[in-house]
Amino acid sequence: MEKDLTRRSVLQRSAAAGLMAVPAAGLLSACVGAKDEAPKDDNAGTVTATNPLGVKEDAEVEVVIFNGGLGTKYATDVHIPSYKKLFPKANVKFSQTEEISTVLTPRFSSNTPPDMVNNAGSKLMDQGKLVGAGQVADLSDLFEAPSLDIPGKKVKETLVPGTIEQGTYKGKPYVLNYAFTVFGMWYSSKLFKDNGWTAPKTWAEFTTLLDAMKAKGITGYAYAGANASYYQYLVILTTAAKIGGADILKNIDNLQANAWKDPAVLQAAKLWGEIGAKYMDKAHLSLKHTEVQLQQNQYKVGFYPSGSWLENEQAKDTPAGFDYNVAALPAATASDKLPANAIYAAAGEMYFVASKGKNVRGGKEYLRHMLSKEGARKFTELTKVLTVVQGSTEGLTLSPGLASSSKALADAGANNFSFRWDSWYKKMDDECRSATNELMFQGGTADKFVQRMQAVADAVKADSSIEKFER
Amino acid sequence: MSILDKKTKREIRVLSGFGHVSLAIWALIILFPLGFAFLAAFKSNTEIFIGNPFGLPSNWDFASFGRAWSEANIGTYFINSIIVVSASTFGTMLLGAMAAYVLARYDFFGNRAIYYYFVAGLAFPVYVVLTPLYLVVQNFGLLGTHTGLILVYIAYSLPFTIFFLAAFFKTLPNAVAEAAMIDGASHTKLFFRVMLPMAKPGLVSITIFNIIGQWNQYVLPVALLPGGDAQSKWLLTQGIASISTSAGYQADWAALFAALTIAIIPMIIVYALFQRQIQSGLTAGAVK
Amino acid sequence: MRHGRYPFVLGFLVAPVVLYTIFVFYPITQLVFVATTNWSGLSPDFDNVGLENFEKIWQDSTFWQAVQHHLMLLIALPLITIALALFFAFLLNMGGGTRGGVMQGVWGSKFYRVVFFLPQVLAVVIVGVIFSRVYGPDQSGIINRLLSFVGIERVLFMSDYGMWAILGVLVWQAVGFYVVLFSAGMSSIPADLYEAAVLDGASRITIFFRVTIPLLWETIRVAWVYLGILAFDAFALVMVLSIEQGGPDGATAVLPVLIYKQGIRESEYGYASALGVSLFLLTITFAILALRAGRREAVEH
Repeated sequence: MEKDLTRRSVLQRSAAAGLMAVPAAGLLSACVGAKDEAPKDDNAGTVTATNPLGVKEDAEVEVVIFNGGLGTKYATDVHIPSYKKLFPKANVKFSQTEEISTVLTPRFSSNTPPDMVNNAGSKLMDQGKLVGAGQVADLSDLFEAPSLDIPGKKVKETLVPGTIEQGTYKGKPYVLNYAFTVFGMWYSSKLFKDNGWTAPKTWAEFTTLLDAMKAKGITGYAYAGANASYYQYLVILTTAAKIGGADILKNIDNLQANAWKDPAVLQAAKLWGEIGAKYMDKAHLSLKHTEVQLQQNQYKVGFYPSGSWLENEQAKDTPAGFDYNVAALPAATASDKLPANAIYAAAGEMYFVASKGKNVRGGKEYLRHMLSKEGARKFTELTKVLTVVQGSTEGLTLSPGLASSSKALADAGANNFSFRWDSWYKKMDDECRSATNELMFQGGTADKFVQRMQAVADAVKADSSIEKFER
Repeated sequence: MSILDKKTKREIRVLSGFGHVSLAIWALIILFPLGFAFLAAFKSNTEIFIGNPFGLPSNWDFASFGRAWSEANIGTYFINSIIVVSASTFGTMLLGAMAAYVLARYDFFGNRAIYYYFVAGLAFPVYVVLTPLYLVVQNFGLLGTHTGLILVYIAYSLPFTIFFLAAFFKTLPNAVAEAAMIDGASHTKLFFRVMLPMAKPGLVSITIFNIIGQWNQYVLPVALLPGGDAQSKWLLTQGIASISTSAGYQADWAALFAALTIAIIPMIIVYALFQRQIQSGLTAGAVK
Repeated sequence: MRHGRYPFVLGFLVAPVVLYTIFVFYPITQLVFVATTNWSGLSPDFDNVGLENFEKIWQDSTFWQAVQHHLMLLIALPLITIALALFFAFLLNMGGGTRGGVMQGVWGSKFYRVVFFLPQVLAVVIVGVIFSRVYGPDQSGIINRLLSFVGIERVLFMSDYGMWAILGVLVWQAVGFYVVLFSAGMSSIPADLYEAAVLDGASRITIFFRVTIPLLWETIRVAWVYLGILAFDAFALVMVLSIEQGGPDGATAVLPVLIYKQGIRESEYGYASALGVSLFLLTITFAILALRAGRREAVEH
């Protein structure tokens, strides 16, 4: 980058650009170079026991980290030093942004992406489209490589089951979902203890408890409609899975005909729609997640659906003794296919290596450092979020919320499930946010919800321009 | 005459009374939100989002200003904004005035075509061309530089500037120009020595439009000054938006409002000081 | 004007034209081209799809919702802003008594002038953040708190009146500038014109409609065009204030936000570009109409 560009050289370059500008397609082809060119691999080093991926020891690696709930300290203080310790000659070029998409989309469309990207936040890039466009590197060799600090184990053997599948597109692992998140209804142990309440196991217990809260002037159940309706559709589908089994979610992911019209989805929508009409505060439609979470911290809200990052996110505003606790959603009917302690749990928070980056090997090596036991442990220490690396919490003192989500996960045993359609098909995600708000806040019906979602699923299925995925 | 006088006086009293009330109400409507933003810099998240919006903070803690200044670099961003906007406004006015002048006062082949070429840009929203624009700026090696941003600002301000200045130059009397030409002044000299000073009122008002527009620009800096190395070059709007997005996660709203206050106060002072000049600059320019 | 004319003309035009061509015109041609492709924006690959994107737009109900919102803003924003601004400018300049035959502004007019202009110097992002608290849906929201003092039940601004709330912010921010602009215009109207009117016994209100407005007509027209272009934007405000960025269910949809969502969130860059072209056509249609319709012989004075 030239900093002291003279006016003259600007004009010279301008003239050059003028010539380039003649054909309309100029930009797309000209500045991109040959598009079918295989990625250059000039950053290959020698493969050794300590360097299983063959990283060139002095090659720069560029990482971009989303600056959100997890912060970026875990990268700058843990993973980058770890990489540099092994490769002292290498420079790790770090940057952070709140707007992943605004900053990185042009870099991908010009084939000059950074090497490793943390694709997250409300302005994340469509991961499915990125994979479909051939912009993401296959991580198979990373998962086959030996772990950095767990002797005798390959990286894949150190992970929580399901991690690799969660990042698999078309049969190949492209994305590392690093954080392990448990979803459920969060509440304050103190509030419950003070009132002699316990977490409900059945729907009847649930509504009785909500009535009790209402009598005390507490909004029993709340989520933020302005930017977090996604937490709520996750809840609706969790209930649907409990009623009809986890395959319902698989059918939705695979865009199977009438997957949304399954009676279990309809019933779940109906039950939650009633909760919305009866126990929720309409004002929450226009609030953002932190605002509703603050209300819960002030004991004005009973249950709040969220992932296990909640405790850390609210750390500063949580009064002493509040004690976050998570409960699995109550059983919906007496004939539920899954037990009441079944939960939605999934590896999340996407990290991927750009296939057309300058240092693909370095990008993968960076992920290997993230997946080391030490890297994972310090990540959890800094962010209070579990990782997909097994046993990485050994020796850590768990906070109340973290302990309760670990317990919920253990209670659920094999009965944990997740879905992927929301990251595969952004169009469906957008529609589901609207449909959920309509159902929960604006007097929408379960039928309407199901119809809207089926319609958008059908539209996505029929649209040949959208890359399809299956699991 | 005296009856008439009385009638006018009464009318003035009524009007003045009514006027005072409505002006005061509007002033309150403006000041209330600003006052709230100022107080919020001292409040806790809970006080801001759950408390009484008219309540005073429980303690007057200036720490949020420190956080906004040092951690969020608001000071640096503020200076960056001033640098970029001064340079781009100057460039816009110079190039815009040159083009507008020639288009308004000289007859040549293609005059109308060039004029409409510029004016069509008036209807073009920047954010739709972000990716192509990004690639152009990148190809010039200007990505992440203030130079690049300044050039882009100038280019996008030209349509509006030329549109209004051309209209303005047309209204200037011919006699002075002709006299100067007879005295042997060159075209360039005529422009800088005679026409520009005569056009001062128009220039002032368009300059203000441009300063405001460019000062508030958000999408362009986000795209053209991405994070990483360029973060030290960020502009104020970016800095504030960055706190506001990360406030959504880390929830330091007090620092956000402190940053807002830091950003607002200098602008208020500058405006109050130059109010008279702005007003008089607008005076002649406006009615033409 | 004879000697050295063409070199001069050329010399004055070359820099602006080059700059404009590179940074504005060239990206626009790209955009028009991209609008006929299915480019995702995430890789260099794309197919040409002709006018398919425009057919999709035609059937896109959210697009039409957004167009309606722009039409609403296009009428309401200039109307309200200009009316308020003219009214305040009149009071500030002529609301007071007559001193030495010259009409005075009301007492404190200098203070008001500074205060009214303040919102202009705030970046839109800042305004958005502040107004998210102004419109807060419960007792912590500024307006709802005020309403509760007079016993009015809470109003859910962003849920129920999203577009009007956005309009409110736009007006709040814009009025001050036009007060200054119109004040400037009014103070440059020769005093003898007013004196004559006052001597004829014309009331302040008659003066306002018969003398001030006709003389300010050109300024008003300029204001109308500028505010009209603003009505096609509203991007930052909708992004910061609205539910799910344009919701609930498209209730605050505006074209720039749709473009952003399609281009950035859903990586449909081709479709987003087609929306951009449509927005361009709408804006330019408005600009042409406004300039044609408002044209009227300027009143000489």
